[in-house]
Amino acid sequence: MSEAATDKGNLFPLLAKAAPLLLAVIAVAFIPAAHPSPNIIRLMFVTLVWVTTSVAWNLIGGFAGQVSFGFAVFYGLGAYTTAITYSTGVDRFDSILLGACAAMLASLLVGLPTFRLKGPYFAIATIGVSEAVRVIMTNLGFTGGASGYRIMERGPFNQLLHYYIALALAATAIALSMLVRYSKFGLALLAIREDEEAASDLGVNPFRTKLLAHALAAALTGAAGGVFVGYAAFIYPQGVFGFDISVAILLMPIIGGLGTVWGPPIGAAVYGFVHEELIASFPQFHLLLFGSLLILIILFEPAGVMGLAYKVVGLFRRRK
Amino acid sequence: MGAILKLEKLSRYFAGLAAVKEVSLDLEEGGLFGLIGPNGAGKTTLLSIIAGSLKPTSGKITFKGRDLTGAKSFKAVQAGIARTHQVPKPFRTLSVLENVEVGLRFGGSQRSGNDAKDAMQVLELVGIAHRQHSPASMLSVGDMKRMELARALAARPTLLLCDEVCSGLTESETEQILSLLRNIRKAGTTILYVEHNLKAIMSVCDHVIVMNYGQKLIEGSPQTVRSDASVIEAYIGKKAAQ
Repeated sequence: MSEAATDKGNLFPLLAKAAPLLLAVIAVAFIPAAHPSPNIIRLMFVTLVWVTTSVAWNLIGGFAGQVSFGFAVFYGLGAYTTAITYSTGVDRFDSILLGACAAMLASLLVGLPTFRLKGPYFAIATIGVSEAVRVIMTNLGFTGGASGYRIMERGPFNQLLHYYIALALAATAIALSMLVRYSKFGLALLAIREDEEAASDLGVNPFRTKLLAHALAAALTGAAGGVFVGYAAFIYPQGVFGFDISVAILLMPIIGGLGTVWGPPIGAAVYGFVHEELIASFPQFHLLLFGSLLILIILFEPAGVMGLAYKVVGLFRRRK
Repeated sequence: MGAILKLEKLSRYFAGLAAVKEVSLDLEEGGLFGLIGPNGAGKTTLLSIIAGSLKPTSGKITFKGRDLTGAKSFKAVQAGIARTHQVPKPFRTLSVLENVEVGLRFGGSQRSGNDAKDAMQVLELVGIAHRQHSPASMLSVGDMKRMELARALAARPTLLLCDEVCSGLTESETEQILSLLRNIRKAGTTILYVEHNLKAIMSVCDHVIVMNYGQKLIEGSPQTVRSDASVIEAYIGKKAAQ
């Protein structure tokens, strides 16, 4: 791990790290060629959106250890901004970009006052802000308030277009997460997570570093909200700003493995498919089951699926 | 050589209580200074103020002619003041090498351009090069203290603040660290060394500052300080001193 952080001139380790991403993107890109049912494509699309939010949350929550309960704010703002701008005639990609910008600005509002403080203030503030924004959006006139906002579609619906947009965004998110992890910026984030005071004593500016990671995470999450809107014909505050969205976004990287590059996408995939099955079989109990799953993970495998994988690999190596 | 660090009437109050009270101090460039005093004398607080971890309530800090009063610790270390902590503060899940890289890449100004080589050099200097890939949490107390020192050195300080780098170490480990401090000083770094272990301080420092109740009691050569009545009184009490 540490060599990659120092060996700048050596291209090979970087390629070796990027290879799984390239393979995964190619594999997912060719799934539609097998002509699966539109329902499978829909499930894959939603999962790819979750992959993006999960990877984004991990940038600040996993790498920097700053737990946020308010990522629905960014997701929802991205969704609404994209929906409104697209409906008023802005190009699809530009409207997603505007959604990302809106989310990034919102991240500063949360980060500026709380990142100067040490301790749990950031986490607490994220809960307050997320509830406040949900209530505001429920009562805001021009977005349709609680009854929601209908998106003006400007052409025939093309499921695969949205599928590939979601895939491109998810791949971008993972690539960014990889770059962050093995960069100087990533080292600063990890140092802050381990001991903020010691990091500052060694020259890391914790406030600026956290603010930047939070903004990057918010932008990706906002873009994910915007991509989701392309698929949905209709959005409403509880659907994109709900506390359950915030919880889902933080649950996925925890399931997969906090602070790793591949844990969050794996966690999102697990969540995406399990959630679908659970909600179909136990519409009332799926949150309870996820809660229990979370407790089990924290108790027995805090490193998530990635931690479990490393343990299994370790077992096989020992046997040889 | 002139003073590299100048403290003027530096005070720090905690809820009305003076932890450091009107301390004025000049540290000559290239010296190895000892800072001693009984428990609660304000040594670590003074160190934290100089390092930027704590803001002074009043007073002024001038470092290399630059006003550094109230500068945050990351600014202080970029200006050339690095510190170690009495209780090591490792980045536990990061490797020893990565711990040092943080100081190397964010600390001082001039970098050689070969971080990997520089990091190994610092680890070799403090004697934990063989532990480079271990997670920091796996280190023994002695190695943890060495890594704490290595990280600070990696930031290429011109003023090194050492807070009890020898507490909890065996006598031979202490001797190794002391000779390391001598070498660091020889290489041109000014050192301010806080220590409980008087023997260690007296053997390595050429100038000793004594604090008591947040104030500077006296300063001078180890010999002068050792025989000063007020120092003996501060350490072992008035009655016993008589």
